[in-house]
Amino acid sequence: MNPRVFVIVPAFNEREVILSTLQSLLRAQYNVVVIDDGSTDGTSALMTNCPVYLLRHAINLGQGAALQTGMSFAVQEGAEIIVHFDADGQHRIEDIESLIEPLRKGEADVVLGSRFLRQVDRSAVPPHKRLVLRVAVVVNWLATGVWLTDAHNGFRALTADAAKRIRLREAGFAHATEIISEIRRAGLRYVEKPTSIRYTDYSKGKGQPIWNAVNILIDLLLRRVFK
Amino acid sequence: MSPIQLILILLMVTAIATYFHRLRSKFLDNLIVLAIGTAGVVMIVMPKWTTSLAHYLGVGRGVDLIMYLAWIGVIFVCLLLYSKVRGIQSSLTELVRAQAIDNALRPKDRESNN
Repeated sequence: MNPRVFVIVPAFNEREVILSTLQSLLRAQYNVVVIDDGSTDGTSALMTNCPVYLLRHAINLGQGAALQTGMSFAVQEGAEIIVHFDADGQHRIEDIESLIEPLRKGEADVVLGSRFLRQVDRSAVPPHKRLVLRVAVVVNWLATGVWLTDAHNGFRALTADAAKRIRLREAGFAHATEIISEIRRAGLRYVEKPTSIRYTDYSKGKGQPIWNAVNILIDLLLRRVFK
Repeated sequence: MSPIQLILILLMVTAIATYFHRLRSKFLDNLIVLAIGTAGVVMIVMPKWTTSLAHYLGVGRGVDLIMYLAWIGVIFVCLLLYSKVRGIQSSLTELVRAQAIDNALRPKDRESNN
């Protein structure tokens, strides 16, 4: 039973895959919060019979904004532990328990999933993507001063208390770096835990293109200037 | 380095530094617009002044001087609009978020519907 674990699933035009992801989360008895980020493909309509919390952004704001909405809501609903989970089925439900274990034991406030802690997960990442992520790790480090083994892994878990102390202002994908600087700013304890990833044709198609790294970098620089 | 290079660099640095420290005020904006407008009128009425000022600053033609300054102005306006857009974006995010949370559908709401 996971009465106080809220799994946040941001969804933007994910109708093809989201139901199976949600059903397995519900089978594992998690509270599931779906944030439909202004989808135009009827993603929300699919969920009429699915016992999840459903929040709709009237317009598309971006994944970072959707996660922040989900965290604010989960805290308000009395969550103790919040998990970030991708809608496209690339994360494994079975990894959630190991991800939240350090939170349950009180050893950390935030747990970050990493695809680079186990050889088997590392090999699952396509070579060109591995290279991009290596670069992203360095960019992350330059931007936040925190050295991690993985970057832009959307699989994370945090306590409600930690969620209250961070605030994501980056609406787009730069939130993945912003969350690290927020962790540092708030002085939260973090650990990395191995998570495996399933790259399907669907998730690859939906994933961030390589040149997005440049956009993210510029977003982060502009954020410094304009706050 | 010619005087114009120095001036343009200084202007550039000032434009950016202003934003770093967010020293912007409506009064200052208006003052800048007024100063630019007045300078424009003077240059139209007295084109020779522009040319001699350009020569003095190390620029060949008055037109070139105006163009350089105009570029600085364009950059300044872009920065100004960009900071406005970001402000609007963040208010919009707050608004959409508050609405989404207010209208959240809970699992138990759904059960009573079915």
